[in-house]
Amino acid sequence: MLRGAIIGLGRMGLTHFSILNSHPDVRVAAVCDTHAFVRKNAEQYLGVKAFSDYEEMLAEPDLDFAVVATPTAKHKEAVQCALRHKLHVFVEKPFTLNPQEGSELLSLLQGADLINQVGYVVRFNDVFMQVKKVLDSRAMGELISFRIEMNGPTVLHDSKSSWRSKVDAGGGCLYDFASHAVDLVNYLIGPPDKVTGTVFRSIHSARVEDAVCTTYLYTTGLWGNFMVNWSDASYRKPMYRFEVLGRNGKLIADSHSYKAFFTQKPTFDGFVAGWNQRHITDFAKPVRFYLRGFEFTRQLDYFVDCMQGKSQCGVSSFASALETDRVIARIRDNAQGERRGEKWIA
Amino acid sequence: MDSIIFGDNQFFGINHVSEDKAQALAERFKDVRAILDVVDTAYDCGIRAFMFNTHDRVAEVCDHFRANPQRYKDIRLYPSMPYAHKYANAVNEKGMIGALNEFLFADRTARQAFSTLVRGGWSVINRDMVSIMGLLVDAEMRMFRGLNIKAIFLQNIVTDLLLGLEAKDVFRAFAEHVRTTYGVDPAFNTMNMPRLVEFLDECGISNPIVCSSINKAGYFMSPGAEKYEETLCSSSFRPIAMSVLASGAIPAEEAIDYVCGLPNLQGIVFGASSKAHIIETRELILSRWKEGMLARTGS
Repeated sequence: MLRGAIIGLGRMGLTHFSILNSHPDVRVAAVCDTHAFVRKNAEQYLGVKAFSDYEEMLAEPDLDFAVVATPTAKHKEAVQCALRHKLHVFVEKPFTLNPQEGSELLSLLQGADLINQVGYVVRFNDVFMQVKKVLDSRAMGELISFRIEMNGPTVLHDSKSSWRSKVDAGGGCLYDFASHAVDLVNYLIGPPDKVTGTVFRSIHSARVEDAVCTTYLYTTGLWGNFMVNWSDASYRKPMYRFEVLGRNGKLIADSHSYKAFFTQKPTFDGFVAGWNQRHITDFAKPVRFYLRGFEFTRQLDYFVDCMQGKSQCGVSSFASALETDRVIARIRDNAQGERRGEKWIA
Repeated sequence: MDSIIFGDNQFFGINHVSEDKAQALAERFKDVRAILDVVDTAYDCGIRAFMFNTHDRVAEVCDHFRANPQRYKDIRLYPSMPYAHKYANAVNEKGMIGALNEFLFADRTARQAFSTLVRGGWSVINRDMVSIMGLLVDAEMRMFRGLNIKAIFLQNIVTDLLLGLEAKDVFRAFAEHVRTTYGVDPAFNTMNMPRLVEFLDECGISNPIVCSSINKAGYFMSPGAEKYEETLCSSSFRPIAMSVLASGAIPAEEAIDYVCGLPNLQGIVFGASSKAHIIETRELILSRWKEGMLARTGS
């Protein structure tokens, strides 16, 4: 039985708690939260020990792993503390506020046999896992261009109280929302060699950007458009759209389905020349416990499997998430550079 | 228990298979008149039972029902609460405690707010999960006041979150609150039917109404279709099937044949947007159930 502790019992902390707790080989033994209300209820109704100080909690004996689900600015300290106690760590995305912090954490892993994973849950989405297979098969030939869009109604008012409206806490669309899209491109295509023409735009938020637009360039000649907006009220929930064009084909995907066009019949099963449409119902396998999406359970079960030595670890590891943090930092730098250089922008 | 319940996902742009279809639905049902037209079509086809999520739009639908009591005199409603995205967005914006305060105290006249304050304490932080749950149920139920309610469903994200957390007292309190305050049976939507049925039994909630995806594709059936079939055979609960068409992934006839062949099923929730589809699905269900379920339940 693996015993875990959860730091930060907000929306993601509770989701992870529920999914892990339903795993037959896992027990959530302790939780930590800054709100007395949350601690009181967790002890009373969820049968766990609740702490206000994670240092104290992680010093508890018999813990195997920690889940860090605090605002991003607290990730580094919390992960450091968990690693000091020789715990496996699952930390929410994005990994840290800047690549410097991430590198420091990665160096702490040297020589330690600890499983490390960051919550880039889209890597466990059925459709995008299939898309990755199609891209890796190279059936589309040399890639020419791609487009990633992610839109949602997450911020429709200026919120002064939420950490999501403060850059220093890890708020803003780029860190908290677009980081998924950055990671998805890293996963499917790879990190860009250059980012250019970045625009940050506030729509409702007074202190952070609500939309990010940028261009990815690759030395191969491949280019990509990146457009993310968390203040689009026309969406019911966050939605992805990914489109890629190659010399021999094209692929258009969202979280529920994808369609692929090939100039010639590809070698893998079932696909024909011309358009091929696949829905999630065609290939999704049920998970042992479902909450909010197959991918949420799949990413935590993978974490548990890795701790138990049943899976080879590495998907969305600290090292992989640090690469994502690096692209995020370049997008941010480029946005600032564009703003300094171009006086015409409002 | 109604054997055919008309569902409402289509009205809110929900389709689990295609985002393009979801978008088309959102465009089509942009105003409440379009929703009412479909509700009227279903009603005129003989459907009397409707499941409604506590979406803001549904409050307008309920206003219309109250304004036309003769037109809808036989209507039977199965509220499902809460509409989760409403909460999720508020939690993103205000944090969990800010969001709870907002839902308990928003949109009230001074008198109602006062009464909630007295019962609820001045802030959620003095309360516990169980009393807050009762207040939230009451807040969500306000839109259905004066209408004929048959059962109250806990929406699947909340059910499954609490199931994973094994929050037994919260389940018991929900069941008790719904029975004593509204005089109806507690009901649960879930994506984890076998596990939930076992858990509700451990909670001492007897013969619960449990609505889950049940379809030939095995879609949204965790941990798997075989376990569902096994649970349907062995357990004493009132199972209802939803997503029987798996958002259109299975042809209607094949889909209905499958669910109607399952043992002990008490009802089917289905949603459709066109008159032809409503009639076709309803008639398929009625014909396949003629000897089986309809005889057993007597409805």
